Amino acid sequence: MKKYKITISGMHCASCASNIEKSLKKVPGVKNANVSLMLKKGTAECEDSVSEDEIKKAVKRTGYEVSNIEKE
Amino acid sequence: MKHENHEQPIEDEEIKSWKKKLLFSWLFTIPIALIMLSERIFGFSVIEMPYSTITILALAFPVLFIFGWSTIRSGMRGLFTFYFNMDSLIALGTIVAYLTGFLGFTGIVDDYSGVSAMIMAFFTTGKYVEAVARGRASQEIKKLLELGAKKARILKGKSPGDDSGEPEEIEVDISEVKINDILIVKPGEKIPTDGIIIKGESSVDESMVTGESIPRDKIKGDNVIGATINQDGILYFKATKIGKDTFLAHIIKLVEETQSEKIPIQKLADKITGIFVPIILVLALLTFLAWLIFSNDLSRSISVGIAVLVIACPCALGLATPTALMVGSGMGAKKGILIKKGEAIQTMKEIKIIVLDKTGTITKGKPEVVEVYPKEKKKNLFEIAASLEKNSEHPIAKAIVSYAESIGLKKYKEVKNFKILRGRGIEGKIRGKSIVIGNRTLMNERKISLKNFEETIKNFENSGYTTMIISENKIVLGAIAVADALKEDSIEAIKKLKEAKLRPIMITGDNEATAKAIGEKVGIYEILANVLPEEKANKVKELQEQEKKMVAFVGDGINDAPALKQSNVGIALGTGTDIAIESGDIVLAKGSLMGAVQAINLSKATFRKIKQNLFWAFAYNVIAIPLAIAGVLHPVVAEIAMALSSVTVVTNANLLRRTKI
Repeated sequence: MKKYKITISGMHCASCASNIEKSLKKVPGVKNANVSLMLKKGTAECEDSVSEDEIKKAVKRTGYEVSNIEKE
Repeated sequence: MKHENHEQPIEDEEIKSWKKKLLFSWLFTIPIALIMLSERIFGFSVIEMPYSTITILALAFPVLFIFGWSTIRSGMRGLFTFYFNMDSLIALGTIVAYLTGFLGFTGIVDDYSGVSAMIMAFFTTGKYVEAVARGRASQEIKKLLELGAKKARILKGKSPGDDSGEPEEIEVDISEVKINDILIVKPGEKIPTDGIIIKGESSVDESMVTGESIPRDKIKGDNVIGATINQDGILYFKATKIGKDTFLAHIIKLVEETQSEKIPIQKLADKITGIFVPIILVLALLTFLAWLIFSNDLSRSISVGIAVLVIACPCALGLATPTALMVGSGMGAKKGILIKKGEAIQTMKEIKIIVLDKTGTITKGKPEVVEVYPKEKKKNLFEIAASLEKNSEHPIAKAIVSYAESIGLKKYKEVKNFKILRGRGIEGKIRGKSIVIGNRTLMNERKISLKNFEETIKNFENSGYTTMIISENKIVLGAIAVADALKEDSIEAIKKLKEAKLRPIMITGDNEATAKAIGEKVGIYEILANVLPEEKANKVKELQEQEKKMVAFVGDGINDAPALKQSNVGIALGTGTDIAIESGDIVLAKGSLMGAVQAINLSKATFRKIKQNLFWAFAYNVIAIPLAIAGVLHPVVAEIAMALSSVTVVTNANLLRRTKI
């Protein structure tokens, strides 16, 4: 298990945050995802096999950009 | 730590960008409004048809497709990718309205193109105000982020004790400071990072991180916390923690984690926001069709459909909880109350029983001399007692020595034949006289008569004090009462807890009598005595099961970690950097019980605010959407209502600051 911490740009409404969460959770291997509109940040807990790129792609799919990603 | 520094500009940029969009939108929308108003109200056209329609279409174009482009683009993308968002509603509403302008030429429908610009202008206005209010909601946290020092002064090359020649001081960026670097802080300066003082003494204002308003005196060997302010002396200290390991960085991380956490009450709102937009899209379409069928008025049907699209606002629902949580946790952080688990805010109002650990929570956690009963002079008594006790490492001995120092004793007498009598006391010889210091058992053992002291000693014992009797050649010189003294505000804090209808219970490893005596003093009459540290968690569990009530536990977070975990809300007390951040749902940076009272008040107030916000957000949508469907709201009015609803929620969250905690 690992945890990605992402900073997301372009979010501006509550459904944005919930869209990103949904999209992240659809990535195979992602167990839990949490996005905060207030902080413009999110976390994704996932299996070790999930790559940074997959996380970025999942965010991008919903129309937002990942401006920073770190592994915890 | 580094990446967090550009956090604030992002928010500022957002505000700036909305401001720009808002200004330009209105610049083009006001002329549109004037043209429309002159036609509607005064019945004449500034510009003749069809030129007025062309003018409006031309003016509205940049409002939608330049200044509103980010919204339109994101909304359209949402529609095509099925990740619907609130922009999708606005984009659809404004584009449909705009297109009626072209249809207007044909005469089939009324021209709503002007309305599209007005909707967009109000939308950007609402977004701007909301962004400002959201920025305000996070102001305390931003202050925390900015709190860290930017520069540090390093002492290079020489050891600080070395006074030969000028020590070399170099100012460096905070990121260049390494562990074990010796740093210098002058009066009035910010302490750059966490460390331990190796030379100098001063008082340090730690209010910004611990909420403790009185500056703390610091001497060699004491810890300092980065971002606190050195008051009056020069301090030399060794950096022990840097970057993201510092106390401040921990606090920031903690507060941020709370922010992004979902608390149970939010779940319903989140579920709704997740499906909100598609539902509204369907509702708007159905409304349009129903109106078309029943009224046979295409223009009206379009207008009502647009009103439904733009009035619906998932934002108020989505912002209700996080904004209030943000303001609440920010207020807490300022006072040294760190809400680690957002859920604790919700659980707190269910708490009926509060279990308080005695040592270190109600009391200071280390013994102090609390009463002295000398036969003659107090100073003489301590001269003898401290000279002997100085040879012992026992906490009680230390308490006596430190008291002796506090009353001005500096010189000690020479002690011969010193002996520790385990569990009873000590003995030795001073100038040939035999001195015995110890408890009643020891005095009885040595057949020393307590005579005139009997009553005092009984009183001490009944108060739960450890009583040390001092004798010289079998004659009692006096008695010293040592006890773990109460923290200054424990009595008041417990009174406040009772006022808040909480049932306080004290838990301790002390025997029944001592525990009762302390309980009596602070006003706690329910006591769990003789509880071994490892049994505390079980006791909490028993309470939860027997009483069927939610139990909070307040403890020091180090020995009490399992009990803190077992309780429904664990409040960990700490002092400065010693706090154990991992244990506890709420962590208090200042080690006073009053902090626990504040934490409870803050949690309750924040949760009330969350409920209020959610109520208004739900109520708004439940009332506004049917009104829009019924066709009683003009699309522009609908948009204004929508903008107001999310602004109201955020503003209401900011009002939490007015609550006194």
